[in-house]
Amino acid sequence: MAEADKDQFEDDDNEEDVHIETKRKKIFSKELRCMMYGFGDDQNPYTESVDLIEDLVIEYITEMTKKAIEVGRPGRISVEDIIFLIRKDPKKYSRVKELLTMSEELRKARKAFDEIKYATTK
Amino acid sequence: MDSSILSPESKPSTSGSSHDKKNALSGSSLKSPRRSHNSESDHDNNESESPDKSKNKSPARVKQSPSQDRKRKAETDEEIKAKHAKQEEERLKMQVLVSNFSEDQLNRYEMFRRAAFPKASIKRLMQSITGTTISPNVVIAMAGIAKVFVGEVVEEALDVLEQWGETGPIQPRHIREAVRVLRDKNVVPNSKKKKVTFT
Repeated sequence: MAEADKDQFEDDDNEEDVHIETKRKKIFSKELRCMMYGFGDDQNPYTESVDLIEDLVIEYITEMTKKAIEVGRPGRISVEDIIFLIRKDPKKYSRVKELLTMSEELRKARKAFDEIKYATTK
Repeated sequence: MDSSILSPESKPSTSGSSHDKKNALSGSSLKSPRRSHNSESDHDNNESESPDKSKNKSPARVKQSPSQDRKRKAETDEEIKAKHAKQEEERLKMQVLVSNFSEDQLNRYEMFRRAAFPKASIKRLMQSITGTTISPNVVIAMAGIAKVFVGEVVEEALDVLEQWGETGPIQPRHIREAVRVLRDKNVVPNSKKKKVTFT
């Protein structure tokens, strides 16, 4: 059986246009399906489409991360770097601002809640 | 604490969310964050400062008379009030819209709000690229940006699907055409093409 596999590999090597695709495990499949449905796709999107979008997302995050590492303090990523990279894209820019504001609000609310809890249970 | 319950997207009445799946309010909500950049006081500041910080001027700024300062502060106060009023109006409009959704639309809207990339995976991915630790705020920002990115690609793919007169689930060729269109609009970054200064 191992020999048959070897033969198969040899055949592949002899073909022109051999595309060796690294089989990366899909890490976002479940969440991406829900997301695509939410954005307007069918309730059961095609698996090939989900895979393609996952590859796109990973490529996007990789590009952004690489650019962010060079901007600002080289070798570190801060939120300002992300905001700088995004500045030309209105949708993403406003979304990031909104997320950070909300995250701050939640943090303050949680802190206030904990303080109240501490004061009442003391 | 279960952060998924407290995640910003599960709040039912958020205003100003710029990626509306129904495209109904996307026009006006895109304009509101930009308005803060048109005011004089924000003109010289970089865009990462929030409107609250615009009142704390650095000492290096040009000296202006106190009355002008007060006038500018008053303008910013009015602008802040106007912004709050606009946000309130947006929130009410959103509530009316959601209350009139069919069950189908409600399901889709719920998926739209709730679906998110897991922060752990994003953090792991980013750390494997950089080799340094990533602060949680950066992970939050990146997860949010990635979701908007998916939204843009999917919406463009749906446009392509409609344009080609087809129906049904999105197929990879629609996505590829969508990415091609978005690359021309600089929404999808492409660092693989060789940049030629002069032809």
